[in-house]
This record gives sequence, C-alpha cells and structure tokens, in this order.
Amino acid sequence: MMYLNKIAIIAYYTFREIIKSRVLLNTLILGLVLLFTTYVALSFTYGSPERVTLDFGMGMLSLSSVGIAIFMGVGLLSKEIESRTAYMIISRPVKRSAFILGKLLGLGSILTLNIFILSSFTLFLYFFVGGEFQPLILWTILFTILESLLVLFIVALFSLLAGQAISVIMTIGLYVSGHAIHSAKEALADKSIVLNTLLEAYHYILPGFYKLNIKDFLLYQKELPYMYLLNIFTYGVIYSVALILLSVIIFERKNLD
Amino acid sequence: MLEFNDVTKIFNSDLLKKPFIALDKVSFEIKPGEVIGFLGANGAGKTTSIKMAMDFIRPSSGQISYHADLGRDKVDAFKRIGYLPERPFFYPHITGREFCHYMGSLSEVSRKSIIEQIQYWGPRLKIDFALDRVIKSYSKGMLQRIGFLATLLHRPKLIILDEPLSGLDPIGRKELKDIITQVNKKGVTVFFSSHIISDVEEVCSEVIFLEKGKLVFNGEVQKIINEHLKMESIVRYVKEGKVLTHKVADNEKRNFIESLIKNNFELVSVTPEKPTLEEIFYKVKSS
Ligand SMILES: Nc1ncnc2c1ncn2[C@@H]1O[C@H](COP(=O)(O)OP(=O)(O)O)[C@@H](O)[C@H]1O
Ligand SMILES: [Mg+2]
Repeated sequence: MMYLNKIAIIAYYTFREIIKSRVLLNTLILGLVLLFTTYVALSFTYGSPERVTLDFGMGMLSLSSVGIAIFMGVGLLSKEIESRTAYMIISRPVKRSAFILGKLLGLGSILTLNIFILSSFTLFLYFFVGGEFQPLILWTILFTILESLLVLFIVALFSLLAGQAISVIMTIGLYVSGHAIHSAKEALADKSIVLNTLLEAYHYILPGFYKLNIKDFLLYQKELPYMYLLNIFTYGVIYSVALILLSVIIFERKNLD
Repeated sequence: MLEFNDVTKIFNSDLLKKPFIALDKVSFEIKPGEVIGFLGANGAGKTTSIKMAMDFIRPSSGQISYHADLGRDKVDAFKRIGYLPERPFFYPHITGREFCHYMGSLSEVSRKSIIEQIQYWGPRLKIDFALDRVIKSYSKGMLQRIGFLATLLHRPKLIILDEPLSGLDPIGRKELKDIITQVNKKGVTVFFSSHIISDVEEVCSEVIFLEKGKLVFNGEVQKIINEHLKMESIVRYVKEGKVLTHKVADNEKRNFIESLIKNNFELVSVTPEKPTLEEIFYKVKSS
C-alpha cells in the first residue's frame, strides 16, 4: 500500500512541476491555432467539412502528443539523474521502481490531459460543422493516448541507455518505421515469403504503431469489430508493460552518478 | 549505525584509460551520538563514499551495512537517515514549502508533523521568508538551507551531509555549524564531509580522514589533539602598559615566569599551545 502511495506522490509532484513549467499553456495555444487553421482550411476544401475537421484535428492531436512525449520523456529520467534531483527521492524510503513508475505516471497523465484538451477542441468544431457521434471517435482518442504513452516509454527506456540526442533520434526512427511498416507490407505482400515473414515478425519485436492508427476507418465511417479493437488495445498495453519492466530492471542496476 | 567494511570503488569510465581507484579498502563505523567529520582534500573520495552509503552507486568490493538501530533493511533504514547532496538542486518550479511536503510525505511523515517541522526549523535555518517562492529563485545558500530543512523533516537518527558549508558566507557557515551542534544535542548523529579542517575541528567529536582514496586517520578529535600537544606554552604579560605574548618551550616555562615576576611584570595567562588538526595532519602525512 505504501508502495502505491509513494508512486502516487511522485506522480503528483511530477505532474505539478510540469504544469507549473507551463508546457500545457503551449498545448492550449496550439489548440486554438488548430481550431483556427481547421476553420480556415474548411473554406478551401471540397470534401465534407466533418471529415476534414476530424482528419486534420486527429492528425495534429497525434503528432503533438507524440512530440510532447518524445521531448519531455527524454529528460524525464535522465535529467533527474544528471541534475541529481533523483538523489532527493532515492535517499528517502522509496524503491527505485517506485521512482520510475511515479515519474512515468506523472508525465503520462500530462499526455492524457493534453489529448483530452486538444480532442475537445477538435470535437467541438466537428459537432459545430454538423458531425455526428461515432463510437470510433472514442477509440481513436484512446489509441492516440496509447500511442503517445508507448512513445514515452520507448524514449524513457532509451534515455537510460544512451544520450538524449541519440534517444530522440532512435525513438523517432521507431515511430516512423512502426507506421511505415504497414504500407511496406501491403506493397510487398506475396512478393517474397521471407520478406513477408520478416515484416510479420516486426510487430512482435518492434512496436507496430500502424495498428493504433484507425483514423481511416473513422473518416470513412467504416465499422471495426469490437474484438479487433480490443486486440489492438491489449497489444499496446502488453507492449507498454514490457517496456516499463525493462526500464525498471535497467534503472535498478544503474549507477546514479 | 552504518559501517564500511573494506570498501573499494574502481571507476572504469574510459576503456582506453586505466581504471581509477577512487576508494581503496576503506573501513570505518559511524557510532551513534557523535558528530563525525569526514575530511579530505578535493578528490579524496568523500562524495564517492557517501554515494555508496546512500546506494546511488555500488562498491566494487567490500560491504556497507546498516545496523539494526537504523532499520531492518535499506529502505527501512532510509526512513531514519537524512541526506543533503553536495550541490543541491531541487525541482525548480515548485515552492520551498511544496518541496518540503513532497520530501516529508515520501518519508512517511504526516502532514501535521511536516507543518510543525517547517515551523520549527524554518526560522532557525533562516529560510522561512522564502518558503512560498519557487525554488528556481533561490540562491546557493538558500538551496543549502532548504535542503537542510528537508533532511530534518522526518526526525532522522542520522544525517549525512556532503559539504554542507561550502557555498555559504562566513555568517552562514557559523549559523549552520551552530545548528549542526543543536541537532546533535537532540540526539541526532551527524556525519558531514568537508575539505576544511578547521570546520571539522570546531564541531566534530570524531574525525575520519581520507587521502587519495585511502583512510589515513579515524578517531576522536580531542584524543588526537592531546596526543600531538606541543611542548610549548603561550605566556601573556603586561610590560609598560602593553600586553605582550611570548611562546616558551615547556622546559623553560618556569625560568621565564620567574624572571617576569622578578622584574615585576604582571602575569596575565599561561596556556599550553595546542596544535590545530591541520598541523597534525600535515605532520602525520609527512612522517
Ligand atoms: N563517475 C566517475 N568516473 C570516474 N571517476 C570518478 C567518478 N566519480 C568520481 N570520480 C573520481 O573519484 C575521485 C573522488 O571523487 P569524489 O568522491 O567526488 O571526491 P571528494 O568528494 O572527496 O572531493 C576523483 O578523482 C574523481 O575524479
Ligand atoms: Mg565531494
């Protein structure tokens, strides 16, 4: 119980520290800019305005939260070690794993809050231009949260092993290839069995971000079976847990110098 | 309370460079109730030792053990240890008070008790005026003070301070030394590192002296000073309305004083000349 309590304390103050550093203010400004540009874009496009709004809004939402995850996540642990603020916590009766879980939970809540803020801007405009509610909207938001959390866990793990610049580059690399792998699979399908198997194996080892991208289904109002969505969700959760576990194991052994 | 047993730390930072022995088979024990000075020049290995005591880094060989008076295991022992790092740097965007609540709650102190401790130590550490400012506005001395306050919040049995006096002005140093003495009188064992011998001499009952990673001395301050008493005394007397001092070897003391009396000079005081710790260490080192 004490263990969970300490995770919550660390998460709370991490959250507070970030809020007070005013990053979320940028999100708010971004939200307003987004609202405005979408509105302007609507008058230039022929497609249905609801679709354009969702496309644009959800795209920006995903990009901005992944951006925040990378650039705040890379310093989340490494900066604490470097500037020795971690000493203040590790010198208390706190397990190292609680420290890392608290930090991740703190920044994770910021990311989630950020997504809630930005998606409410988008949805506001969507309903304003006459869009109708579909359950897939909620799934898209959930998967965007999951995506940015995955990115956060990846960059945090890298930052325990390598420098900040390398961690950022590798994370962006994984993110881009995790999306591109899907198109690669479609283009190369049936051309070579070996290649196909390799691509198939990809998402078991490296994160298959493409799975979390269901925007096209949302835009063209296609249905997705509930079980399929749940499967993807489970995949994301299992992958996250594995990443966190690995980070904890590395951090437990790390010299905090 | 805490014991180092043949602790060695080797840094292999660079594959090309040869390994660097920062600490070489160091053994000592922190006994309850004392103020222990951990002395050594810059680079002697003090911070490295303290980092190992706090389990930030691990020894290459040897053991560090926490005795039962601190706790069952490491995490339990840390409930009764207060630690102040060498160059304190805390979360910049929260206030000093929030920082104290953060640290206190991690140490399982109730909110009420944290408030009491802040009320008690805040004015004594002269940081109460800045508690509601964000930490990024603090000066080095203020960081040191809020850090010290945070180390006392949970009423620890042992406090470990890494160069707590560095970066403070002379008045600040004096104040902090007084507080160290005060805290110790309340039953807290104090272990603090310094490269300034006179600081240690003033407040410490015990001293552990490191040089280039090796332990060169460990013992009571008074005892070493007495062991190295010089056979000299300072005689002060009045001559033609002025107070003069004169240093005499002990075997000539009697003759000198008799001659003063014979010549009708007024004798003010005769005190044995004590060596400073600094002089002793230089002597020990060169011999
Ligand atoms: N991570 C490290 N890698 C390599 N050398 C180190 C490391 N940390 C400390 N040292 C070296 O160990 C020696 C002792 O350092 P330190 O314990 O900080 O000394 P002190 O605190 O007594 O001034 C120094 O020579 C320092 O350069
Ligand atoms: Mg040092």
